[in-house]
Amino acid sequence: MTGLVIKDFLILRKSLRSYLMILVIYTAIAFSGFWNASFIGGFMMVMVSVLPMNVFAYDKQAKWDTYGLALPVGRTKTVCARYLCVLLLCLGSVVMAAMAGAVLYAMGRLEEPAEFLITCALMGLLAVLLNAVILPFLYKFGPEQARIALFVLMGFIVLLGWLFLIPLGGIEWLKTLGEPTPAQIASIPFIAAIVGVVLLAVSFLLSRHFYGTKDV
Amino acid sequence: MTNCIEIKGLAKEYKTFTLGPIDLTVPGGSILGLIGENGAGKTTLIKSMLGITKPSGGSVTLLGTDPDHAKEDIGVVMDDCFFSEYLRVRDVNSVLSHVYKGWDKGLFADYLDKFGLSGAKNIKELSRGMRMKLSLAAALAHRPRLLLLDEATAGLDPVVRDEILDEFLAFVSDEEHAILISSHITSDLEKVADYIAYLHQGKLLMCDEKDMLLESYGRLVCTKADLEQIDRGYLVSTRKSQYSAEALIRHKSDFKRLYPRLTVEPVTLDELMVFVVKGEKT
Repeated sequence: MTGLVIKDFLILRKSLRSYLMILVIYTAIAFSGFWNASFIGGFMMVMVSVLPMNVFAYDKQAKWDTYGLALPVGRTKTVCARYLCVLLLCLGSVVMAAMAGAVLYAMGRLEEPAEFLITCALMGLLAVLLNAVILPFLYKFGPEQARIALFVLMGFIVLLGWLFLIPLGGIEWLKTLGEPTPAQIASIPFIAAIVGVVLLAVSFLLSRHFYGTKDV
Repeated sequence: MTNCIEIKGLAKEYKTFTLGPIDLTVPGGSILGLIGENGAGKTTLIKSMLGITKPSGGSVTLLGTDPDHAKEDIGVVMDDCFFSEYLRVRDVNSVLSHVYKGWDKGLFADYLDKFGLSGAKNIKELSRGMRMKLSLAAALAHRPRLLLLDEATAGLDPVVRDEILDEFLAFVSDEEHAILISSHITSDLEKVADYIAYLHQGKLLMCDEKDMLLESYGRLVCTKADLEQIDRGYLVSTRKSQYSAEALIRHKSDFKRLYPRLTVEPVTLDELMVFVVKGEKT
């Protein structure tokens, strides 16, 4: 299994180097004061949401699945390796963003480091959630169709939300809920973490099922 | 001598194609050459043997156990190099050394040297032949006992092919080792294979010792009138042109005794395939 994780990282080596370079540029921009530092967390989330899709696309291009299934790894461990790779990417992105924040803080350009760190952690968690949704689609449909399936799903969710809000008075209804209390805000990371773990487990089981029944 | 491959009633059904049921046995210390036209089911057979594609029926025993447990001792080369173009040659070592328990880094390096492959090179820069050599190095570096090769010598020049075939012969000098190799380059199989299995439209038409196969079949060249006089029991298939006729005949030595006037030439695996696919069945 370790070999497959190493393979994914080696394939992404070039992309990771580019993203690191962009991170340095964004940190420099944040240092100049042109953009807020919290932008870095958002960038990292987008990055780690795109990378797994790229791995699937590169694997498909090389027809790796055929060879991968001839290796003494097994289908479940193969899926495990991909999830581990994604989690490591998410964790790595949070650490990198935190390091950028630390540099900015040391240079006196970050006023609220705690808020920055929470933002980064939340972004990392969001990336995990997003990947938990994307990965089963990738296993079921492959990289090209998964993108389309994902857009359709997102559109469906937005439509559902809209249909839910309309009878309540639309966006204005959300404003009537009032400002969240500090306790509510503090509970967000924990709730998000629990939702993340559950969603990730369901996602893994789905992916394992799709890959387990796949004829390559 | 134990069997390295035992296949019983292996079948795989698709909407437009059905493989099998196939029964096949490959004893240790031997090479089985799998021949057949494009789309005959050679790759499907190898994939089904490894569980890459799930068989519809039958059983496969590799190295005395089920395929999943045998994979540690199997080297596989398919008709393409499956390593991403974004990897370097030496990355294959980093990946597979964590996959195979028996991976030998030194042996992999030796094969790279032998095949003239530089570890620093990007896979993207390699020609098809070089990629196949990389695949072979990867298949051999964990010291497998069974090699499953799907068009492994395709795209290689004759010199390298010859070197690789020597490698295969050395590999099966150990009675515990065996190779199943599918190839369109039948001259390679004539050189190294001990057994030949002929797949045609998903069915196993022939499976026998190569020497026996080439000994017992022959190519008859005669006139159409001569062909009409021959006992149909000897004829496998025929091809007629405007003035002459050709036939694939079985039981060559009996036939020669019975028809000493007629010319029977040795048949090659290529001719055997062409006769079976294109000839008129008798």
